[in-house]
Amino acid sequence: MTLEPYSEVLLFSSLAAATAVLGIAPEAFGRAPSRAAIGWANALACGLMIGVAYVLLTEGLSGALIAGGLGTLLGVGFVRASHAAAGTGELDVDRLESSGPGDGYKAILVDALHAADEGVAIGVAMAVSMPLGIAMAATLAVHNIPEAMVLSTVLTRRGLSVPRAAVVTVAVNASQVVLAVASFGVLGFVPGALPVVAGFAVGALMYRSLVELLPESYHQAGETSIAVVTLLAMGVVVFLAGVAP
Amino acid sequence: MNEVLLVFLYALFTAVATGFGAIPFAFVREISERVTAYSSAIAGGLMLGASFGLVAEGTVYGRGETLIGALLGVAFILVTQLLLREYDSQDLVFGAATGEGAKKMLLMVIVMTVHSFAEGVAVGVSFGGGVTLGAVITIAIALHNVPEGVAISAVLRPQGVSVARCAGWSVFSSLPQPLMAVPAFLFVETFRTALPYGLGFAAGAMVFMVLVELLPEAYEHGDRAQVATVATLSAVGMVLFQQWL
Ligand SMILES: [Zn+2]
Ligand SMILES: [Zn+2]
Repeated sequence: MTLEPYSEVLLFSSLAAATAVLGIAPEAFGRAPSRAAIGWANALACGLMIGVAYVLLTEGLSGALIAGGLGTLLGVGFVRASHAAAGTGELDVDRLESSGPGDGYKAILVDALHAADEGVAIGVAMAVSMPLGIAMAATLAVHNIPEAMVLSTVLTRRGLSVPRAAVVTVAVNASQVVLAVASFGVLGFVPGALPVVAGFAVGALMYRSLVELLPESYHQAGETSIAVVTLLAMGVVVFLAGVAP
Repeated sequence: MNEVLLVFLYALFTAVATGFGAIPFAFVREISERVTAYSSAIAGGLMLGASFGLVAEGTVYGRGETLIGALLGVAFILVTQLLLREYDSQDLVFGAATGEGAKKMLLMVIVMTVHSFAEGVAVGVSFGGGVTLGAVITIAIALHNVPEGVAISAVLRPQGVSVARCAGWSVFSSLPQPLMAVPAFLFVETFRTALPYGLGFAAGAMVFMVLVELLPEAYEHGDRAQVATVATLSAVGMVLFQQWL
């Protein structure tokens, strides 16, 4: 195996991670996003994730359903365990008003772990085919922006300067790049693991989007607009993934 | 036997199978807010998974068409919600419930019935290749319908609708399958063109129902992590089940 596919994975996952910096824009221009805008940002991020889960389920299992199911259980279990271990299960990263002093760090931790699963999704998609992987990286690049917007709002409200907040929001995505390359590498040596790893990413991403992103967004912007934004985001992913042969 | 009659009978059998979805709810004795919450999460997950299947099938016939269909499906629910809002909540009676509960049940029955129209067309079109595969397709659709009956009953039963009536409404929601299968079988070419729009419409309506009614309901009265777990596993379970079929 040559190094070339690895550098492609590295390049595209790094680009996806780096777009997070755009999420700081509202803060940089001195206009903190409204509560409803944070809700829509979460819904957008959530819809893209569920779309990603759809793509992995339709492209990544190749008929190995039991392996895919086991992977899903592992993914859900992993996220639940990591929330329990970090004490972030009940954390509402969006309920800014009522959060304690330690919650800034917890928000960073949640986002770093969360980015790790997304790295696995990129790695899996790249292992299926390079065009699908690039479509996946593009999707997550978009997904990272609203997520970074929420995190940077949390951080600047805790007194962090805008440039520092920008650095942190990009840095939490480092795990995305590392895991993208790592899971792509593992799948290069053990192609048979693809359904399990794809299932893992599906379970982790869907669970996360339903536990971290969606619930609060309903309170922030109301059910109807959240449903519309989430659904449109899902539609975009389905469309993007179809572009890849 | 006459081929048309055969298609009708096959599709009628699949409709009746939907009623089996009510059976698990015979074992649910007491109905609390928690039961309602987790039932909504199950229904939401199953419907999300089912629409993944619809989208995967629709995009085979046409990606753009499926997406347009999905947007129309969303518009359909929005308009239906608006029309239902016109009613004074007390005037609206569904089974033993009035007001909000009745609205939700009515919307659920409408959504699931509408989605069966598209599936009826899909059945008819796939029979168009000849009825030799009929038995296989019939069993697959019948099994597919059972969890959808679960989804309907999961919404109706917590509102105090009897198990028998849950079964009745489940079967009712699938009646468009035999009704649509026959014309689709007779005029395959015409219906094949409309199919991606129909499948997209069904998926859009179902996902929107999940996002605007079922998940908010589940989060409202259930523990967030449990709701996310139940919904994720139901959705992925449904997808794997359908891929197995
Ligand atoms: Zn994310
Ligand atoms: Zn169905």
